[in-house]
Amino acid sequence: MAPGLALNNTGLAALDPKVLEAVRPRTLSKEQLLEVPDVLQPLFPWGGLQRGWSVGVSGRGAWTLTAAMLAPSLGNEGWLAVVGAPLVNLVAAAEVGLRMDRVLIVDTPPAGQWGTVVAGLLEAVQAVAIAPPAAIGARDARRISARLREQRGSLVHLDGGATWPSTLDLGLTCTTTEWQGIGKGHGYLRYRRVAIEAVGRRSAARPAAVAVWMPGPNGPLTAAEPEERLASITAIR
Amino acid sequence: MVLCPDWPVVAWGIPLNEPAAVFVANRVVSCSPAARLEGVAVGQRRRDAQSRCPDIAVLEQDLDREARLFEPVAAALTDITPQVEITGPGVVGFPTLGPSKFFGGDLAMAAKITQTLEPVLRDRGQLYMGIADGVFGARLAAKTSADIGEVSGSSTPIIVDPGGSAEFLSGFGVDALGLPELADVLQRLGLRTLGDFAALSIDDVVGRFGAEGRMAHRLARGIDQYPPDLRKPAADMAVTWWFDPPTERIDPCAFAAKALADEMNRALNDRGLACIRVAIEAETENGEEFTRLWRHEGTLSAAALAERARWQLDGWLHQARVAHRSANTDPDAGVGSAIARLSLIPDEVVPATGRQLGFWGGRAERADDVSRAVARIQGILGSESVRVPEWSGGRGPAEQISLIPAAAVDLGEPREGADSNHIHQPWPGQIPPPAPSEVGSVVGVVELVASSGESLVVTGRGELIGTPEWLIAGSEEREVDRWAGPWPADERWWDPSAHRRRARMQIVLSDGTAHLVVTENQTWTIEATY
Repeated sequence: MAPGLALNNTGLAALDPKVLEAVRPRTLSKEQLLEVPDVLQPLFPWGGLQRGWSVGVSGRGAWTLTAAMLAPSLGNEGWLAVVGAPLVNLVAAAEVGLRMDRVLIVDTPPAGQWGTVVAGLLEAVQAVAIAPPAAIGARDARRISARLREQRGSLVHLDGGATWPSTLDLGLTCTTTEWQGIGKGHGYLRYRRVAIEAVGRRSAARPAAVAVWMPGPNGPLTAAEPEERLASITAIR
Repeated sequence: MVLCPDWPVVAWGIPLNEPAAVFVANRVVSCSPAARLEGVAVGQRRRDAQSRCPDIAVLEQDLDREARLFEPVAAALTDITPQVEITGPGVVGFPTLGPSKFFGGDLAMAAKITQTLEPVLRDRGQLYMGIADGVFGARLAAKTSADIGEVSGSSTPIIVDPGGSAEFLSGFGVDALGLPELADVLQRLGLRTLGDFAALSIDDVVGRFGAEGRMAHRLARGIDQYPPDLRKPAADMAVTWWFDPPTERIDPCAFAAKALADEMNRALNDRGLACIRVAIEAETENGEEFTRLWRHEGTLSAAALAERARWQLDGWLHQARVAHRSANTDPDAGVGSAIARLSLIPDEVVPATGRQLGFWGGRAERADDVSRAVARIQGILGSESVRVPEWSGGRGPAEQISLIPAAAVDLGEPREGADSNHIHQPWPGQIPPPAPSEVGSVVGVVELVASSGESLVVTGRGELIGTPEWLIAGSEEREVDRWAGPWPADERWWDPSAHRRRARMQIVLSDGTAHLVVTENQTWTIEATY
């Protein structure tokens, strides 16, 4: 170290800004973040989906929530592969903004092939959503996790991680669902208010919760007050 | 440069006096002279082509077949000169200086070529020749010869005098460069011909259009796209694959070609080079050697390299089989020409500018990471295992999007079907959004019980008898909180075998779960879950 370059605070501040720029840590956690819809931001520790994270989504409407969460993170170029989830409805995903020309639907692999298939997909696509019918072996899971960290993609468990042998980085659960617009024999399912809870490990260990309209009167995904009722809808009832 | 026009049509074995056209993505890419007479043109939509010429034969592009059938043509030319290089199926060229002197002039050489290729081509169309200073000029000369030949019915080689290429080219439109974006800008700048463009100073062109502009400018001036470089590329960039045991089948060859192409491309990339001409060499188990040069006016990417190597091997193997069959030998003896070694040797390399020119064969280059991953998974799970969504229109939630095999689409291309706007017709009776999160159910048949204690019934007139109280799925009973519908759907009433009468209802259970249930023939099933 050059003489006179003491590494205390005063010393750093006195340095040329160019030097400071050069010694600045290269990867900030903020740069590792993928964009999520504004209303979901409180669920994520830094307000965005961390690259390389494994996220579980469960409860009614899990797929719609997954599609809404991933849509902005994929941007214009990213692909989403859905593996072994024959029931997901892509129309619902399209309604919350997922681009249909960036989706691959992959058949359920046999039990021993999950590692190969998902790890292979992670090399090329930005996000993979899985819903395995049976528990995934520890070896496959390790292989997928390693590839996930290395490629800095996203892995979403549509079953909330029930079949995953280790803990997830973040788990989202749609707890209460309330429908509006439908009555006893009239109207139709129109707006849905969902309470979403999030809890994970490390930085996400502190539980968080939001209430959202999915969809609501102002769009496919908007913020809701926990006990908010829509005046117009209540009036009909 | 020797040009066999309409090769994509010729390769299908269709006589040229019958209207036929080859289509890619519903656009004409090549058509027979008979079709052209009816007004069919390259770039036309299929509907337009068919309306002009209703009995036109609609063909799909099959590059493998085109390349395979072109190999005998290239092979015949090697009798005249060893330096034959293929640009693509239907286009082949060679340096004329030596052969021309040997045969006593360009015209004599052209006559010799016609004579040589006549028995190979037979009735499969005319061949046209162009001779000029550069590859680009020669190609345009051959093209001109073809245009003239179409009208006059005979093939006259167009020979551009040495040094006269710039003048010859100056009359062509800028779109002859094959760079639509550049041509568009040039035309709007008022530069309509290659001559106008060539008259600009090179500095100005580079300043405005960069490396791509410089190459185009060189072409317009009638000189080669890249400055000549007489150094041979380093020998260690050549890559070789030994087949053990030697193979007569194309699949292992294709696999080897892909691996070699990747390896060679990596070696080139490390040196910041790109390949514009590659020698593909094969050795049979008997020690026979074959070599063929392939040129690409842009640069050859790994995918394009692999494709060309596959074509070439396929061509050789095919020829060997044909020769074997005609020799009438014992069919169990094997063709005796199993390939033992495959080598790819970069023959001409240029500094990589990181930009591909899409003169020809631009489709292979777009194969990106996703296509590769998809191919790998198809190899593990089967060819139909990866699918992509397309909007299809329909009433039920399961019918609005259909899944088509990823193998059937080009993932690098924008897909019309993936855009919901391409469904124009309204679907009366469609359940309004939001769409359910999941379609289908593991439960299957359920029972909906009315307040009277009996099964809930929807009449033929679409009326509900009773009000739903309980949903019974297996051993589970759930209270129905709210409901809406029924919405009857009377589908395909005009077709007795496909006629379906159904009615859908939305129900919300006491825990907030919402289902779309459907009744048909008095049974209820859960069609979707919100």
